[in-house]
Amino acid sequence: MAAIETKQLAREFEGGIKAVDGVDLDVAGGEIYGFLGPNGAGKTTTVRMLTTLLAPTGGSATVAGFDVAAEPGEVRRKIGVALQEAALDPLMTGRELIHLQATLHGLPRERGDELGDALLGRVGLTQAADRRVGTYSGGMRRRLDLAAALVHEPSVLFLDEPTTGLDPVSRQAIWEEVEKLNAEGTTVFLTTQYLEEADQLADRVGIISAGRIVAEGTPAALKSEVGKPHLELSLVDQHGREADCERVLARFGKPLPAKDGKLLVELEHGTSEVGPIVVALDEAGLAVESLDLVQPSLDDVFVAKTGEHLEGAEEAPADEAIAG
Amino acid sequence: MSARQSGGAIRVLMRRALNEITRVPGAAIPGVLAPSIFFLGLTSVFGSLTLLPGFDTQSYQSFLIPVSLMQGAAFTGAATGVNLARDIEQGWFDRLLASPAPRPVLLAGLVLSASFRALIPATFLLIVAFAIGAEWPGFGGLALALLIVMGMAIVAATWGTSLAMRFKSQSAAPLMQAGMFLAVLLTTAYAPLELLQGWLQEIARINPVTQVIEAARQGFIGEDVTWAGTWPGLLALAGLAVLFTWMALRAMRRMTA
Amino acid sequence: MSGRLAANARVVAALGARSVRQTLRRPQLAAPLIIFPTLLLAIQTGGAGGAVDLPGFPEVNGFLDFMLAGAMVQSCLLAGNSGGIALALDIEMGFTDRLFAAPVSRYSVVLGRLAGTTVLGAFTAVWFIAIGLISGATIEEGVLGAIWIIALVAATALAFGSIGAAIALRTNSASVVQGLFPLVFVILFLSSAFFPANLMLEPAASVAEYNPLSFIVEGLREPILSSFDGEDELLALGSVLALMAFGLWMCALALKGRVRRGA
Repeated sequence: MAAIETKQLAREFEGGIKAVDGVDLDVAGGEIYGFLGPNGAGKTTTVRMLTTLLAPTGGSATVAGFDVAAEPGEVRRKIGVALQEAALDPLMTGRELIHLQATLHGLPRERGDELGDALLGRVGLTQAADRRVGTYSGGMRRRLDLAAALVHEPSVLFLDEPTTGLDPVSRQAIWEEVEKLNAEGTTVFLTTQYLEEADQLADRVGIISAGRIVAEGTPAALKSEVGKPHLELSLVDQHGREADCERVLARFGKPLPAKDGKLLVELEHGTSEVGPIVVALDEAGLAVESLDLVQPSLDDVFVAKTGEHLEGAEEAPADEAIAG
Repeated sequence: MSARQSGGAIRVLMRRALNEITRVPGAAIPGVLAPSIFFLGLTSVFGSLTLLPGFDTQSYQSFLIPVSLMQGAAFTGAATGVNLARDIEQGWFDRLLASPAPRPVLLAGLVLSASFRALIPATFLLIVAFAIGAEWPGFGGLALALLIVMGMAIVAATWGTSLAMRFKSQSAAPLMQAGMFLAVLLTTAYAPLELLQGWLQEIARINPVTQVIEAARQGFIGEDVTWAGTWPGLLALAGLAVLFTWMALRAMRRMTA
Repeated sequence: MSGRLAANARVVAALGARSVRQTLRRPQLAAPLIIFPTLLLAIQTGGAGGAVDLPGFPEVNGFLDFMLAGAMVQSCLLAGNSGGIALALDIEMGFTDRLFAAPVSRYSVVLGRLAGTTVLGAFTAVWFIAIGLISGATIEEGVLGAIWIIALVAATALAFGSIGAAIALRTNSASVVQGLFPLVFVILFLSSAFFPANLMLEPAASVAEYNPLSFIVEGLREPILSSFDGEDELLALGSVLALMAFGLWMCALALKGRVRRGA
C-alpha cells in the first residue's frame, strides 16, 4: 500500500494564488521521499495538506490509507509531524513536551513516560530532559521536536525542513536519526532546500517549482538525466604529455576541453571505469597526480528543469573526491 | 478518544497554559493588581455616588466588588485569547491541530485554565476589599460570586480564543480586550439602572452581563441570595458561553480549511 | 554649526514621524492611547453621570464636559507609557544602537521619539475635543480655549513621554516599562481627573489636592467649563514644565550613564 498518494492535489488561496497546482505523489511504505524546492515553491503548503492542517481545494490525498479531507482524525493518528521552525514552548521542559504529545495521542500515562524516556535517550536529550526548552540550542530543539513527533510510533513521518539553519554537526545527528528510523520501517516525507540533504537521505526526490512537480526519481537517475559523470585528472610532470594522456582517455569516453590545467573526460559507463583508466594510464607510463570523479549535482537537475538555482545549492559539495 | 484520554489531554493543556504565569517572573503581577487598583481607585473617586437619591446601597465598595471581580475574570479570559494568538503566530498551535485530540478538547484545555486562573486576581481583590472594610457577603454569596467569576472567565476565554483563531494575529488583542471591557462595564457597573444616563440604561437593560453582575452582587450588598436573583445571571453566562464556544469551534475548523 | 543643527532637526523629524506611524499602524499600540480612553469616557459618563446632581459638584453643562480633561490626560499618560515601551523594544532589538552609532547626537534620537509622542498627544486632544463637541459638550472659552487645550495636552504628552523614555533608557526592558501600566491608573485615580477632588473619598481626596496631575486637569477643565482662570492655567503650565524638566533631565542622565557603561 502506498504510504502517501495524491492525485492532482491543489490548493488555491484567496486572490486566486495557486500555491500547489496539481501534484501527483506516490510514496511507498518504507521509503524516504525528499521534496525539494526553493522557498515559496509550494513545499510547505503540500505538507500542511498532507498533515491535515490545510484542506485541499482540488484533487485528493491519502496518507497511510486514509483520505486527508474525509478522515483527518485517522490520518493524525498515523502521522508524526515536525514542522519548520520547530514550534516549541520555551517555558516547558523537554520531558513535559513529550508527555503532552503522548497525552494528545491518548497514550496512558505510564506508557507515555516510558516511551518519553526512551525517545529522549534516543535523541541524546536525557541530560537536558528537565531543563526548559528556552535554554536549548537550535540542534537540541530540532532533536526534541523529532522525538515529540515519534511518541505514538507513527507509520509516516513528516519533516518540514528539519535541518534548516543548523550547523553541520547537528545536521549530521538529525540525518543519522532519520536513517535509523527509516531502517526500522518508518516512511519519511522530507522537505528541504538543501541538495546535500536530499542526496544523502532520500530514496526518491521530487522537485517542486511554482506549485508543480517538475522532476521525480532517484537522485542518481535524476542526475544522469542531465549529464554523465566526468573525470578530472592531472599528471606528475604533466607538461608535454597531455597528448599521450588524451589518447589513453579517448578509449574510455569523450575527452572534454582541459580546465585549469586538468584533463577532463566524460565517462560513458559511469564510475566503474575509474579503475581501468588508472591501470591504462599506468601501463602507458603516465603517473597520475590527482584524480576527481565529478557527478552532476541535483542543482544541475534543478537548473535544467526550472532554469533557476536552488537557494541552498552552494552548500552542497556534490563532487565525490577520489584520492589519486 | 475515550473520556479518560480526553480528560488527560485537557489536564496537560491546562497545566501548560498555567506556565504563562507560574514560570514567567512577574507576569502574573499586572493581571492580579489591575482589578484591585481599579477597585480602590473607582471606589475612592466615585464613592460619593451612593449619596444620590435612588442609590440604595450604602457602601460603594460593596456595590463595586462584583464589577471588579468580573473585570478580573474578563481580562484573564481575554489574555488567554492573546496568548493563543501568539501560539498561532509562532506555530505552536499547529502541533496541537496535527494531533488526533478532538477539537473541543483543545479548546477546553485553554478555556478551563482561564477559569481557574481567574480565581487568583479574584482572591487578591477580595482580600484587599475585606481588609479595607467591605462587608462579608455570607458563604453563599461568596461561593456564588466565585462560581460566576469562573463562568465569566470561560465566556471571556471562548470570546478571546475565537477571535485569536479568526484573525491568527496578536493585532486582534485590543478587540478581545475591548469586547470584554464593554461587556462588563455597559451594565449596572457604576450605578443602579435608574441612575444611569438614558443611552446606557437602554444598553444595560438588554446586556446579559447586567444579569451576571446583579447575581454576583446579591450577597455583597447585604441581600439574601435567592434563586430568583441568581438564575438570570447563570442563564446569561451559559448562553454566552455556548454562543462563543460555537464561534470558537467554528473558527478552529476553518483554520484547517 | 547651523548645518549640524539642521541635520539633527531632520533626524528628530524623521524619527518622530516613524514613531507616529508605528503607533497608528498597530492596533495593539493605538488602542490603549485612543480607543480605551474613549470607551472609558463613554462608560464613566453614562454610568456616573448622575453625579452632577451631588451637592458640591461644580456648575457644568453636563458630566461629559467635566470628564473630557480627564480623558485627555489619561491618553497622555498612556502615550508616555507606550512611547517608553516602543523605545525599550527598539533598544532590545538593537535598532537604537544603530542610531547611536550614526553621526547624530544621541539626544536627537531620544528627542525624535518624544516628538512623536508630542504629536500623538496633540492628536488625542483634537480627538477628544471632536468627540466632545459631537456628543453635545461645549468649550466655553471657544477656539482660543481649544488651541490652549491642544497645546497643553501636547506638552503633557511630551512630559510623560520623557519620563517613560528615561525609564526605558535606564532599564532597557520593554516588560519593565509595560509593567508600569497599572501605575498609570494609580496616578489617575489619585487626581481629580475623573471627579471633583472635594467629592472624592479619603485618603485619595487629599492626595488629589496636591497631585500635579490634578493641576494639569484643572487647567484643561476651566476653559471647557467656564473661562480661562489665570491662576489655574499658570499652575497647570508650571506643573507640565516641571514634569517635563524632570523627565528630560532623567533622560539626559540615563543617556550619560549609557555612554559611561559603554552601552
